[in-house]
Amino acid sequence: MKKTRITICTGTACYVLGGANLLELEDFLSDEMKSRIEITGSACLGMCKAASNDSKPPYVKIDDEVIHSATIQKIIAYLSER
Amino acid sequence: MFVDNRMTYLKREVIAAVASLFFDNKLKEEINRIPTKIIPRNSVSHRCCVEKDREIIKQRVIASLGFGLEDEKLVDESLLSDFVDKAIDRNSPDKQILSFIDEACKACVRVNYYVTEVCRNCVAKPCITNCPKGAISSDDKRAHIDGSKCVNCGLCLKMCPYHAIVYVPVPCEEACPVGAISKNASGKEEIDYSKCIHCGKCIRACPFGAVVEKSQIIEVLKSLTGSGKTTALVAPAIAGQFPFSMKQLSGGLRELGFDYVVEVALGADVTAQTEAEEFIERMASGDGMMGTSCCPAYVEAVKKHAQKFEKYVSHAKTPLSYTAAITREKFPQAVNVFIGPCIAKRHEGLDDDNVDYVITFEELGALFIAKGLDVSSCAESYFDLGYATCEGRNFPVSGGVAAAVTKILEDKGRRAEITPAYINGFNKKSISLLNIYATGKSPGNLIEVMSCEGGCICGPGVVANPKFAANKLKEFVDSKEHW
Repeated sequence: MKKTRITICTGTACYVLGGANLLELEDFLSDEMKSRIEITGSACLGMCKAASNDSKPPYVKIDDEVIHSATIQKIIAYLSER
Repeated sequence: MFVDNRMTYLKREVIAAVASLFFDNKLKEEINRIPTKIIPRNSVSHRCCVEKDREIIKQRVIASLGFGLEDEKLVDESLLSDFVDKAIDRNSPDKQILSFIDEACKACVRVNYYVTEVCRNCVAKPCITNCPKGAISSDDKRAHIDGSKCVNCGLCLKMCPYHAIVYVPVPCEEACPVGAISKNASGKEEIDYSKCIHCGKCIRACPFGAVVEKSQIIEVLKSLTGSGKTTALVAPAIAGQFPFSMKQLSGGLRELGFDYVVEVALGADVTAQTEAEEFIERMASGDGMMGTSCCPAYVEAVKKHAQKFEKYVSHAKTPLSYTAAITREKFPQAVNVFIGPCIAKRHEGLDDDNVDYVITFEELGALFIAKGLDVSSCAESYFDLGYATCEGRNFPVSGGVAAAVTKILEDKGRRAEITPAYINGFNKKSISLLNIYATGKSPGNLIEVMSCEGGCICGPGVVANPKFAANKLKEFVDSKEHW
C-alpha cells in the first residue's frame, strides 16, 4: 500500500506560529497510523504568501491536500477519516 | 514544563502584525484594524463572541507597544492609534515588566474550593460543621460554598468523606514560586513587585493568556530602521530555537537590520572562568559552598526571599553583562539588543547600562514573519567578535553551567574538589531548600540553580519544543562551529 505523505512546512512563519510543535507529531500517533504514513519536514512551501485572509499558518500537506491552521489534533482527525 | 498553545501563537501573531505595520510605515494609520484583521467576523470565537476576542487583541496590542493595562479607563477610552506616538517618543521602557488583561483574566475562580456532584448530601455534613466562616450551606441536592464568605482554608476538602470537594487552582498564582500574585479586593489579579522575581512562569501558566509582557519591540524596530547601528546579542539558547543553521540565523538577523551579531556564549566563558576562580578561593577560605549567578530570576529570588543564601552566590556577572560590556567597548555607537528565552533578562537589561533593549525568541520569530523573511533562504553569515567555547555554548541546558566550571577545574587538575548539585526549575519549595543549604546542609559544593526546568532552552520566551531545542543545541555545540 502506498503510504500517505505528511509534509510539515518549517518555513519561518509556519514554524513560529505552531509548526514547531507539529514536528513532534509522531509521538502522538498510534502504531497503526505510523505504519501507513511518512512524515517529512519541508522548507517553506510558499502557502503563506498565497493565502487568503481566513487561512493561516502553520500549513501541512497530506498528500496533495493542504491543511491550514494545522494542529496535531487536526492532522490526527484527518488521518482517522482516511 | 513549557507548554505551547493557541494563546502563545495568538501572542506572536499580534506582535508580527504590529511589526509588519511598522516596517511598512503604516503603524498609526492601520493599527486600529489589527483586532478585526486577526479575529475576522466569521472566525470561531475563543470566548463568548468575536467582539470580546477583539477587545482582548486590542489590549495585547497595547502591551506589544510597551504599555501596561492597569488604567482601565484609559484603555477603554483610547484608540490603539492614540498609543502609537507615545510609544515612539518613549525614552525608556517600563520597569514593571508584566501586566494583566483583566478582560481575559476574569475566567478564573475567586474561591479555590468547589463542591462537585459527587456530594451525597450526607446527614453528618462535616463540611458545614467544620467551616470556620459559616460559608457552606446545602439545598436538597448538595452543599454549596458561598464565595463571599470562604477564606480558602481548605478544611472542607479535608473533612469530606466522599472526596466530593475539589481544589480549583488559579494557574498564575499556582505557578508563581514566590507568592507574588494575588487578587485584590475587586477580584483583579495584581503582581507585588516587591516579591516578583520576573521568572515569567505566570505568563505561560495562564490558559487565557491574561498575563502580558510590556514589549520593547517598538524601541528595537526604531533602532533597526533608523540610521544608527544595532547589535544583536544572541543568547546561546538561540542555536536550538529554529529549524535553521546558526549561519542562516545570523544572516537572517542581518537582513532584519542588525549590523552586528554577537554570541552571548562569549560572556558565558568569562562567567565560567570567574566562577571557577572564585570557587577555588571560597573553598580555600572555608565557605564550603558556592551558588552560580547567571540566572537572574534565581538571583532575584535569593535577594528577596532567601537572604541566608545570599553570601554564597558567586560575584561573577551574567554572560549577558560581560558580553554587553565587550560589545559596548568594540561598537560604542551601536544599540545593544539582547535576544533570549528569558523574561527576567528584561529586568536585568533595564538595570544594565550596556544593555539597551531585550526581546525574546518569540518576538524575534514575529519580527522575521513581519519582515517576510524565510530564514532558510537568507545568505549565511557569521558572529562578530569571535567565537565561544563548547562549554559556554552549553550554558542554557540544565547542568551546563556546572559542567563549564567543572571543566575549568579539571583542566587545572582539581576535578576532585568540586561536587555539583542542581536545582533544575525553581518552584515554591526551592526557597526553603536554598535556606537549608545555607545552614551547611547542602548536597554539593557548587549549587547550580536555573529557574526554568530544563534550563534556558525551556524559558518562557522560547519558540522551539524543548526536545527539539535540546537536540538542535547539542548538534551546534558538538559541531564546534568556528566559521
